[in-house]
Amino acid sequence: MQKVLGDFIHALRQAGLPVSPAETLDALHASQLVGLKNPLLLKSALGMTLAKTQEDFIKLDQVFDHFFSLNTGSDNTAPNPDPVSNQDNIESPKPEQQDPEKNQSQERVPTPPDTPSSQLALQLINNEQTAIETAIAAAAYQAGATTMQMFTQKGVVSYRIMKALGEESLNSELSALAKDNKNSELIHNIRNKQTKLREQVKEYVEQQYLLYSKNIGKQLVDDNLKKVKLSNVDFSYYQQMSKLVTKAAKQLATQHGRRKKTSKRGTLDVRKTIAANAAFDGFLFHTKWKSTRIERPKVMVICDVSGSVSKMSRFLLMFLYSLQDVLPKVRSFVFASNLAEVTKNFDEQDIEEALSIIMKKWAFMPTDYGRALMDFKDLALDDIDNKTTVIMLGDARNNYSDSHAKIWKEVYQKSKRVLWLNPEGHYNWDSGDSIMSEYSPYCSRVEPCGSINDLTRIVGSLLKHS
Amino acid sequence: MIIQHKEKIASPDTIKEAFKGLGYICSDDIAMSVYLACHLQKPILVEGPPGVGKTELAKKIAEYLSATLIRMQCYEGLDEAKALYEWKYGKQLLYTQLLKDQLGDVMNGAKGLDESVSRLHQFGDIFYSDEFLEPRPLLQALRQKDGAVLLIDEIDKADQEFEAFLLELLSDYQVSIPEIGTIKAKSKPIVILTSNNTRELGDALKRRCLHLYIPFPEPKLEQEIISVKVPELNTELQKELVAFVSELRTMALKKVPAVSETIDWAKALLLLNVHELDQQWIKSTLNLLLKFQEDIEVIEPEIRNIMNKSKRL
Repeated sequence: MQKVLGDFIHALRQAGLPVSPAETLDALHASQLVGLKNPLLLKSALGMTLAKTQEDFIKLDQVFDHFFSLNTGSDNTAPNPDPVSNQDNIESPKPEQQDPEKNQSQERVPTPPDTPSSQLALQLINNEQTAIETAIAAAAYQAGATTMQMFTQKGVVSYRIMKALGEESLNSELSALAKDNKNSELIHNIRNKQTKLREQVKEYVEQQYLLYSKNIGKQLVDDNLKKVKLSNVDFSYYQQMSKLVTKAAKQLATQHGRRKKTSKRGTLDVRKTIAANAAFDGFLFHTKWKSTRIERPKVMVICDVSGSVSKMSRFLLMFLYSLQDVLPKVRSFVFASNLAEVTKNFDEQDIEEALSIIMKKWAFMPTDYGRALMDFKDLALDDIDNKTTVIMLGDARNNYSDSHAKIWKEVYQKSKRVLWLNPEGHYNWDSGDSIMSEYSPYCSRVEPCGSINDLTRIVGSLLKHS
Repeated sequence: MIIQHKEKIASPDTIKEAFKGLGYICSDDIAMSVYLACHLQKPILVEGPPGVGKTELAKKIAEYLSATLIRMQCYEGLDEAKALYEWKYGKQLLYTQLLKDQLGDVMNGAKGLDESVSRLHQFGDIFYSDEFLEPRPLLQALRQKDGAVLLIDEIDKADQEFEAFLLELLSDYQVSIPEIGTIKAKSKPIVILTSNNTRELGDALKRRCLHLYIPFPEPKLEQEIISVKVPELNTELQKELVAFVSELRTMALKKVPAVSETIDWAKALLLLNVHELDQQWIKSTLNLLLKFQEDIEVIEPEIRNIMNKSKRL
């Protein structure tokens, strides 16, 4: 039972459930109490000890069905060999390939035997499904079915399993039997069963791959996607990227979900102080101070949505809106030449939908930072106070028009912090029509920001210093 | 040991049947969680939409095991002084006054400061002792000789600090009071935590608990619940009413009706002596099911449609 449960938990971890050793022990105790007889009871017991959210339970449900059908389902396929016998024997050229072996076996056994003697052949003839299954499981473990990395390995693993089961000796035996015509029916029978066995092994390996390894490849892609420059990400990966962004945002949200307190220096909490010093007959040895919670930062994001920056803006906006638990007061503005507030769009629509509408409307317009800043001044400058963090995302490529850096200076003076995220690397700043140096004196920090990893780092620091 | 009779928790089915006798119809999952909680001595974390009987579950467990139910309602700002213990300051002050009067007698004849201090040390230190301890729900639960059912209601409403503070209690059934030491449970209580998911709970807390999600019940189960809670209502009406409610739950509402609301509605229909569910009655009693004016406005013109749909079920 421990082995079965261990494998099951291994499969769960591969499916992305965070199962701790302590929970493994709980699950073991629970399954010992419930027993393995009733799968429904077992599933609900394991579900309670291992899955701690609804999503996790759904995953567990799938893995459970998959995992345990693997161990019991093959019984159902055993009694009806009909579908197999209908199939053509694809492997018919095999005997010719095995010619040298045939000769060898001929030499060893001068008179062709009437019945096969190898273990596998006997098992096949007698239809010993249980024995075969056990053998497959053991061979699969040896062949590394549980540690496959890529789907391309499936073929090799199946081959190794068949080899371990003794297919070679079976083949040679069959060729020996073929010498005698009267055995043809027996051979045909065994051949059919062999094909069926091959399919069974293939199916088993496929299931093992789905259980244990499907997510490893995905993990690899995910890791790479986090590092790659967002402007280079292909459209086909958008779906996956948005998932990653939400995941990263969720991680940040749990990290910073706790609200910190600061003590107000100099304000005594009289009630607590008296209570704490009752032991000293009212002499105030320990003082207790009043404390307040630190407010979450008010964030205003200004995003350039023209051209190549638009991809970056898309993910930044997505990131900030996934953080709504910890950053409830985000106001967002987008601009190309004119600037507009889009906070409402996000409140009313689904994030994906809102983003695609915004991008359609604004992308591919010429950028004018000066004009956008003037609009920003009218729209929001009065609302900026010393608790506001302003984030600008843009490459500062202004098409050689006026920068209006004065407005940016005003923003800098009124706000708590100004972050400028530039999707281009340092070396590109101030080249061509980029006027980064005109704005950078009025920024608390200017950061190149290209990938999801960069985004996570920057937004993380935003939360940390709030 | 809280479980007086082993046979009471012999299998999930026994528990299910017994709860039914107590008027609490539960699904297999719920029975299983109670069974595991009793045997593994682990807390249950119950999640689910409001009104599906999370709190009721704790009450029924206490009733079934004939144990004391100790309930602690969580809210923002709840701290250990309110949850675990507090010192009886008034009594402590009186004690210091008493001590002052006695001090002369104790110190009588002592020479020098050293001897006075050592005599003071010999004098029993009861300032921080059980006598001056005011136990709050958590401590009460640990001190129950025959064990108790501890209901920590709406843990998601409490602060994260408090959640961390609960960890020691949940895994080892003990708490540490700095002045006294560690207090272990006399008999391990059965702990039920409920959460409405207003915020995500920490992994550390989840890991220590069995996780039980109670969804809205299947129509069949809900009908069974109604027939137990409002047995006077005729079966045909029960069926119609449950079908109507379950149809409502599929619609996009601000707050969908829960089981407790179905029960209220059934009681109201009984009181009004309704024999057949028609549009007029539904319209006039809709405010029992829906708690937002917007929802009522959405549903009112749709009543006939919903009725037709639910009849087809």
